[in-house]
Formats: sequence, C-alpha cells, structure tokens
Amino acid sequence: MSDVLNSVSDGLADTVELAGKSVVRIEGRRRLPSTGLVWSADGVIVTAHHSVERDDNLSVGLPNGDKVSATLAGRDPSTDLAVLRVDAKGLSAFKQADGAKLRVGHLVLALGRPGTNVLSTMGIVSALGNNWRSALGGDVDRYLQTDVAMLPGFSGGPLVDVSGALLGMNTSAMRDTSLTIPTATLARVVDTLLKHGKVRQGYLGIGAQPVRLPAALQEKLGQETGLLIASVEAGSPADQSGLVLGDTLVTLDSNKVRHMDDLAGLLTGDRVGASIPATIVRGGQVQDIKLTIGERA
Amino acid sequence: MSTILEQLNEGVSAAVDAAHRSLVQVSVGQGNGAGTIWHPDGLIITNAHVVSALDRPSRGGWSYGPYGRFPQREATLTVTLPDGQTLPARILAQDAEKDVAALTVEASGLPTIALGDSRKLRAGQMVFAVGHPWGVLGAASAGIVVGAGSEFPEMPAGGREWIVISLKVRPGNSGGPLLDVQGRLIGVNTLMTGPQVGAAIPVHTIKSFLKEALGSPMAASITAVPETA
Repeated sequence: MSDVLNSVSDGLADTVELAGKSVVRIEGRRRLPSTGLVWSADGVIVTAHHSVERDDNLSVGLPNGDKVSATLAGRDPSTDLAVLRVDAKGLSAFKQADGAKLRVGHLVLALGRPGTNVLSTMGIVSALGNNWRSALGGDVDRYLQTDVAMLPGFSGGPLVDVSGALLGMNTSAMRDTSLTIPTATLARVVDTLLKHGKVRQGYLGIGAQPVRLPAALQEKLGQETGLLIASVEAGSPADQSGLVLGDTLVTLDSNKVRHMDDLAGLLTGDRVGASIPATIVRGGQVQDIKLTIGERA
Repeated sequence: MSTILEQLNEGVSAAVDAAHRSLVQVSVGQGNGAGTIWHPDGLIITNAHVVSALDRPSRGGWSYGPYGRFPQREATLTVTLPDGQTLPARILAQDAEKDVAALTVEASGLPTIALGDSRKLRAGQMVFAVGHPWGVLGAASAGIVVGAGSEFPEMPAGGREWIVISLKVRPGNSGGPLLDVQGRLIGVNTLMTGPQVGAAIPVHTIKSFLKEALGSPMAASITAVPETA
C-alpha cells in the first residue's frame, strides 16, 4: 500500500521537477511577480497579460537562478496573453500535451515561480468544453476548467499533465474559477503577436441590444431576434457606413446576427478594413447595406 | 512519466463518469442545484435548501413590494435528467434541519449509482465531488476526507454528522454526489466552509431520513438499491 503512495508522490515530484525547467518568474508589476512559461528555446516566453502592468523595464527570472531583461513582443487582452522575448542560453521549452486525450477527472498540476523556486498545486480537470468567447471578445479554442488552487503569483504559469506536458496557461482572471487557455490558443495568439505585436479585432462603434423581431419578419428572415442599435459613436465605422439609431442589424456577411455574441464572433481581425454585406431592418423594411469594419484600438 | 499516475487518471475519470450517469440538475425558478437519482423509479435526492424557494407561501394571494402589489406565482420545480430531459418534480419529503429533500419525477428505469459505506470513511482518503458549480454542468473536483463525524467546531452544532472534505465546492454543487475512489456515493455535497473546504451529508444520514420520512413502502424499495459494505 505505501509503495503505491510513494510511487504516486515521487511521480508527482518528478513531474514538477521536469516541468519546472520551463517555468520562469516574470517581474512586470510593482508588487508580487507572476509566472511565465518557456514557449520556445529561442527565448519566447508566454505569460498572463493582466500580470504585466508595464511595457518596459521587464525582467525574467530563469530556473537556474539568473535574471535577464525581457522585451514585450505584444499583448492580447482578449485572451489574457502577453508574449515576452529574452536573450538567454539553455532555455528548455515545454513538450505540448495531446489535448485530445484529456478527460474530466485527469490529474493536472499548476506550476508557478513567483520567487526563486518552482511551486505547484494539484487538481483535476473539472470541465472540458468547446470553444468559447471571453468577456473581451477573445476566441479561446477550448473550455478547460480545473480545481487547482491558483496561489498568488501563479497567473501566467503552465497547467501540465502527469507527464509534465503543457496543457495551457493558467489565468485566474475569471472570478474564483481556475481557467486554462489551451495550447491551441497559445499557439495562434503567440504567432500573431510575434508577427504583428497585437491581435486585430474588428470594431463597429455601436451600442446594441437584442430585440424580438415582428412575427412576419421572423418568418421572412428565419430568426427570432436581431440587434437593435441603441447608439452609434460619432465618426465610427458604423457611423461612416450609415448606420443610425433604431436600425436593427440582422445579418453580417451572410451570418445571422441574433445577439451581441453573434456580432462579436464576426468582428474578426481578418475582416478589418473590408466592406462587408449586411442586412438591417429600418422603419420596418428589410434593407441590404455594406458596412466597412474598422479596427478596435 | 509514471504509469501509476496514468492509472490514477483512469480511476478518477471512471469514478466521475459513474457520477455523471446518475447526476441531475434541480431547478426552482432561477436557482440551480444538483441531485442524484436514488431509485430507478424516479426518486431524486438533493439538499432541502436547493428546493426551499418553493416554501414561500403562494396560496393564490398577493405579495407586497415597494411598487405595489402583484400576484404570487408558483415557482416550478423541475429536474433535468442525465439524458437532457427536463421533467416536473414533486417534493416527497424534506427535512430542513438535516438539509435533505427527496423528490419524485415520473420516470422509470433511470440509472442509479452504487452506495458506499459512509461509516467507514477515513481521513486522508481520496474523494470527488460532482455538480454544477457556478452553472458549469457536471464539473468535478477532487480532494481528500478531512474528517467524518459530528465533532467539528466550525460546523453547525446539534449532533449532525458531516463528511468534511478538502476540495472545491461552490454554488451549484449543492445536492450533488460525493464519491469514493470506486465511484460509489458516500455523501451529498451541502456547503462550503472555505475556498478549499466543503461538507457533505453522509449517505447513512440520507438513508435514515428516507426510512423515517417515507415509511415502509419506499423503505422496501430503498433496500433494492445496490450497496456494498
């Protein structure tokens, strides 16, 4: 009996030691440092955007005890990611886990390095789900929630499986729930941030709310609700495209717009600057118009 | 890394899967809690506090608010089964002091879960809680038994027995199952006493509640639920 327990206990400690080689300390805010993970051995570090409170004067504490300066390559607040670059030798990047094998109940470890040493908490995968949109409109490939305790300074650190392979980056930005941004999302966002320094998001400049369409229109359009435009920002892309207060947006780029989440999903970076067909209801009449999508600042 | 850890993973996933097969959602109006199918003929166990919104009197009278009076509407009690079906439910019995309620739905052949022996729990043994914390359906949390019994200074007095567990329970976990490593039901998750500590009503307390509250016909069908010592 105690042999099994010893094996489990040693196994966990071995995993932390191995994975710890890719865990760094991020000094990017006045109070407590946060954690980052080594994404590639050439010096790309991923951490939580909310834990990097300044754009310069950044340092990274390495597993061997050295401290090096870092530059900010870019941020994506919508997925709470920030990418830093360091110039250091001997960095060890994470092996990435095969997300398809993950199941609710699997053991996971959260790692952090708010100080010199690597720390860890243990939990299980609590919930797995499909892609979801964050409060700021970010596109996250998969819903991954665990019950690991996020200790102070753990934001930006890795979630690993029992072999030490990377499952994603932990963020405690959502009330009380330990959410992990999965590696698929990290890969996408890191690529964009390294190339462009930011993630582009489309922007219209409207305030809107979902409204129930009249029965005849529901039938004609094949949807129950549309977005009633309650405000149009002066000079915004919506204003310049001719949208006015009282218009009801029902489709954008041939996609039904039933509520804000539908719209947020369509204001993607690749549509910035494009003139997109849309359908509105104005004064009871269905009209086809063109909207030029701007870029969110 | 170590195959022992992978075996552990398999074990935990299997226990959570067992819980999912008999896990329900219990809804009263806006509120949402969890419950477990106790008997295939539609007997559901949950906490009394999950269904307590129904206790507000609604005998067709008026309710007075700051802006005038408005007619009382009956909140409806529903249970959503593991297959996704939502059925109206009725409270068969409840005990506010023990915080247990027995509900019934019109269904048969429902999947149940094996019962474990909640009198034989040991501090340190691994347990899992499954429920709908913050509305995340079927979410699971793992931890160990802190202790079991009736001598916890921080728990409500009155000789009630508890299983105190170190894992994460949140609103939406109430009424849901606490399982042992073999996926057997050992308790009903009832409250959180800290960010990483909760308390569950032991299954033996649920059994004595059912025997007292429902009398012999249901007691006979209760013993039909498979259990292991």
